[in-house]
Amino acid sequence: MKFRVFAAFAGPSLLLMLCFIAIPLVNVFIQSFYNTQTIFETIEIESCTPGFGTSTCVTETATRPVLGEDGKALERTLFVGWESYTNILKPSQAWNAVKQFSWSGLMAIDFWKALRFTLTFTLISLPLVIGLGLVIALSVNSLAKSIKGQIIFVSLLPFIITPVIGALSIRWLFIGDGILTAMLEWWLQIDIAMFAQAWTIEMMMLFYRVWHVAPFAFVVFYAGLQTVNNDTLESAIIDGASRFERLRYVVIPHLMPLIVFVSLIHLMDSYRVFEEIVGFSSQAHVISLQWLTYDFLVPDESGNRAISRASASSMLTMVGIVILLIPLLRKTWNDHKSRVL
Amino acid sequence: MKKFCAAIITALMLPGSLWAACAHDNQIEIKSLSAGFEAWKAVTDAMAECGNFQAELDQEFRDKQVEAFAADPSLYHIGGVSNSTLVPLVNNNLVRPLDDLVAKHGSHLSENQLIRQNGQVVAIAMMVNAQHLMYRQDILDDLGIAEPTTYDEVLAAAAQIADAGVVDYPLGATWKTGFNIALDFVNLFLGEGEALIGADLMPTINNETGMQVLATMGRLKEFMDPEILVSDSTYVQQQFQQGKIAMANLWASRAAAMDDEAESQVVGKVTMASAPMGSVRPASTLWWDGTVIAANITDEEAEAAFQLIMEGMDSEMVQANNDAAIWIIDGFVPGKSAAGAFATAANGAAPYPASTEFGIIFNALGNGLAAYVTGEKDAATTLADIENEYLVGAREAGLIQ
Amino acid sequence: MTIPKALQMSLGLRMTTVGFIVCWCLIAAFPIFWIAVMSFKEPLDSFASNPLSVIFGPSTRASGKGLSIFDIIIGLGVIYLIYRFSINLLPKWIKQLIPANLSVFGWLIGSLAIALGVVIVFGVLVPPVLSFVNGFTGFLGTPLIGFTTEHYQAVWVDNEFYRNFINSLIVTTGVVTISLTVGALAGYGLARSGSNMAFWILIAALIFRALPHSVLVSGYLPVFVNSAEYLRPILGEHAPTFYGQPLAVIMVLVAINQPFTIWMLRSFFQNIPTELDESARVDGCTHFQAFRWVIMPIMWPGVITTGLFSFLLAYNDFLVTSLLLDAQNQTMVPAIAGYFNRETTTTDQVEAVAAAVSITAPLFLLVMVFQRQIVSGLTAGAVKG
Repeated sequence: MKFRVFAAFAGPSLLLMLCFIAIPLVNVFIQSFYNTQTIFETIEIESCTPGFGTSTCVTETATRPVLGEDGKALERTLFVGWESYTNILKPSQAWNAVKQFSWSGLMAIDFWKALRFTLTFTLISLPLVIGLGLVIALSVNSLAKSIKGQIIFVSLLPFIITPVIGALSIRWLFIGDGILTAMLEWWLQIDIAMFAQAWTIEMMMLFYRVWHVAPFAFVVFYAGLQTVNNDTLESAIIDGASRFERLRYVVIPHLMPLIVFVSLIHLMDSYRVFEEIVGFSSQAHVISLQWLTYDFLVPDESGNRAISRASASSMLTMVGIVILLIPLLRKTWNDHKSRVL
Repeated sequence: MKKFCAAIITALMLPGSLWAACAHDNQIEIKSLSAGFEAWKAVTDAMAECGNFQAELDQEFRDKQVEAFAADPSLYHIGGVSNSTLVPLVNNNLVRPLDDLVAKHGSHLSENQLIRQNGQVVAIAMMVNAQHLMYRQDILDDLGIAEPTTYDEVLAAAAQIADAGVVDYPLGATWKTGFNIALDFVNLFLGEGEALIGADLMPTINNETGMQVLATMGRLKEFMDPEILVSDSTYVQQQFQQGKIAMANLWASRAAAMDDEAESQVVGKVTMASAPMGSVRPASTLWWDGTVIAANITDEEAEAAFQLIMEGMDSEMVQANNDAAIWIIDGFVPGKSAAGAFATAANGAAPYPASTEFGIIFNALGNGLAAYVTGEKDAATTLADIENEYLVGAREAGLIQ
Repeated sequence: MTIPKALQMSLGLRMTTVGFIVCWCLIAAFPIFWIAVMSFKEPLDSFASNPLSVIFGPSTRASGKGLSIFDIIIGLGVIYLIYRFSINLLPKWIKQLIPANLSVFGWLIGSLAIALGVVIVFGVLVPPVLSFVNGFTGFLGTPLIGFTTEHYQAVWVDNEFYRNFINSLIVTTGVVTISLTVGALAGYGLARSGSNMAFWILIAALIFRALPHSVLVSGYLPVFVNSAEYLRPILGEHAPTFYGQPLAVIMVLVAINQPFTIWMLRSFFQNIPTELDESARVDGCTHFQAFRWVIMPIMWPGVITTGLFSFLLAYNDFLVTSLLLDAQNQTMVPAIAGYFNRETTTTDQVEAVAAAVSITAPLFLLVMVFQRQIVSGLTAGAVKG
């Protein structure tokens, strides 16, 4: 295919990605090295607050932005180098904690705390999702044809449901004296508060994520199982291979590309875990990298945004995901080369 | 369905009556952006009666309010603000001074409603709000406890209630990480008569008062639900309604819900009292909500918008929604649910000290306090880390060098 | 095809499999089933800690809103009739009326018609008949299970949720159509081009897909809000403000979704033998003609599966739509979040639950219709790594 033809085919898609992803990304990269500040002055100001019946007026000193000739607040943009990154990573404080082997010292820094959770969340949920998806796929595949349809339908439900609503529906089952907590309390005869400590919240988040994503793994694997070569299976049986050996040496290798595909998607999605943090309001105990970025970006009560730190934090998140993806990227590169040759 | 049918029938039977509640017929397209709670719903519904009006009620409105008002022309004409969300709008010079419009159309407004800065009217207030003590009168009477007026008395009462074992948890609190817990710390701190930020914009929380406030919070925690760090106003309100807690500091706007028969199991049993006293004033802050008009719109639009505001905030609206808020508009009849807020104000509670720098320390408190409550950090480390977080934020914003 | 004897499972293994599947289905469906139950009760029952009072709804029943045994029997009967209809008659009609290659759309329309029918039958026709009959039937007519549809009425009628529904419909339709058109072209181009550039584009797309959305989205806000000002020198007085425009949000969602779409479709096209379009090219077709006349007729399975994923992304999106759309164009998911965020009463929360169930219902319908296509589309090779 000639370049011009290729460009015509891929052009619209590339243009969209360029406008809405690549350019904002470059912008974020640049912003992480600059800091735009409003210029403030301190002035005497009289302000009145309504009360019950009467208002109280006080004169006090307040910080106000200096307004330019066009009536807009004056700003200055400074090149700050790696300052935003250091503000997030706090390298000296972190290094001190590492030197003293103080885990809690390291976890006192938001970024490392978020990184710890994001990584454990991603790496623990990955095998669970793949494993559960595979087991469901194998089980459903062995069912009678007449009920397969209904089972597939029910199995897909957790995947299609809107994430915000899925997380909330699980939250309601557990929060306060939610029915599942009440049931657990009745069964174990102890007082349980699922939202009171980090590990139970993390368990619930993991449960939700596996519940939500396993159906996707299932349906992909199930589709893959439909194309397993029956001749290979039969010859394996003739060779006397047990059920487990057939699984191990015929089925799994056949599904391998799909397992890689699902892992890839899952790594990317769970590395940017965010809905769970909001849905389970876990900020008190665990936070994730995307939540950290989001928290910098959202204006506080008085409208301040920490844009520079948000940009730096999202660049760090990106570096992390690229590192995680390297093994899979290398595999794709090898495939590509073998295809070209 | 019934309401829907009724609305259609009224509309058919009395042609023209739909707009009747409005004194004038609005001709200019006006849009508003505000928070989404009950009082705003009442006010914007009343504005909509004049026609050509679209209201956007969004609890996360502050995410976009500044950007939307900064556009030329502004995307919204009317903005709903509180004392804290007014700050970025005024700072960026995005609100229109209202003195001329007040003189022309708003002579009936009370001085209390006019929010002035440097002599100019920048906003029209409609309601006030404060957190104050609510307690279960029946439980305290049974145990012979008098109304607690300080946190020591609250703690003593809580201990007695815990011993009696009549409720799941003696105390409730709005301690959800973020806005809620930060405000509770601020309330306690201001109750001691101290400021959180000094004259040179340096934080003054890492001191004796800060330690004392954290110690109080630590003692209060012992009597609370272990899930206190996810409990927001709605959750505390529900705990009250289901009879699970006996005392809590809660918003005045939530008071009416205690007597809502459709939801509450404790109708008539909850009493509203002043927020407990700190050593100087009540541990609470006064808030107001009101409207502003965007600067980047034409004079005609501003005038139409102002007339709509006057229509939305009239006595008729207040009479129809008397219990939705503590209105500061003529016609409001303070009921039982307003008693706590009045007592808190009478005892001298401070207004919420909204400013650019306060937003930063507020955010740092919201994120940092949880570590103390969970026991991850001790009081001194918690305060030092929050102080540090403020310094980074303030330096980035250009407030300090 | 009969299963060879050696492939058949032992009894023990079969029991384990069946047991596992039953457990999984319970876990998969329970939370969704539960919020559906909650949405039909008064607030006091919905958030009760005793599961039995959530199911039977004593306080809902006490306020006179409930289903009697008779109601339940009639209800189940009507549901059975509808089920029979959609299993037996509907397929026949679709076969007769609609050409085979468009049957999917026939199913879509058919199931929409059934959904509408269910709403009309249960919302309008059945209640008056039942309330009339219940007066005579004594014990059989007294309420047994608390049940009320008032929250749905509050959501759909009083709060005008149908507006959000229409907006969601506009946004999702736009995203799916544009995303598939643009993505299919790009996917085909990438699959047929062996150049290194194609590879690097794919890798870039992969990294784009991994980006946290909140980073991108907040970057759009100032540009979208001020677009009229930026564009005025070029477009004059009619320069549009992108903020609040469904089309602008559609473009953002399409772009965010492109990486996944082109990866899926590329691997799908790779499984279509190159000989097919090459022979067409030998016959004198251009690339576009080959794509149009040779590839398009056989690409439907992959496109439908990919389209379904685009649909889910657009339908379920919260971050983009909540920040970039104004109230008049708000879709359903951010609208629901609004219910929770406002200073809520417990009644508001139950209404939010009812709205949540309402959002899920169309997804149900969609998976029911497309379930077979998803599996066959994936099998046909839309995912081969």
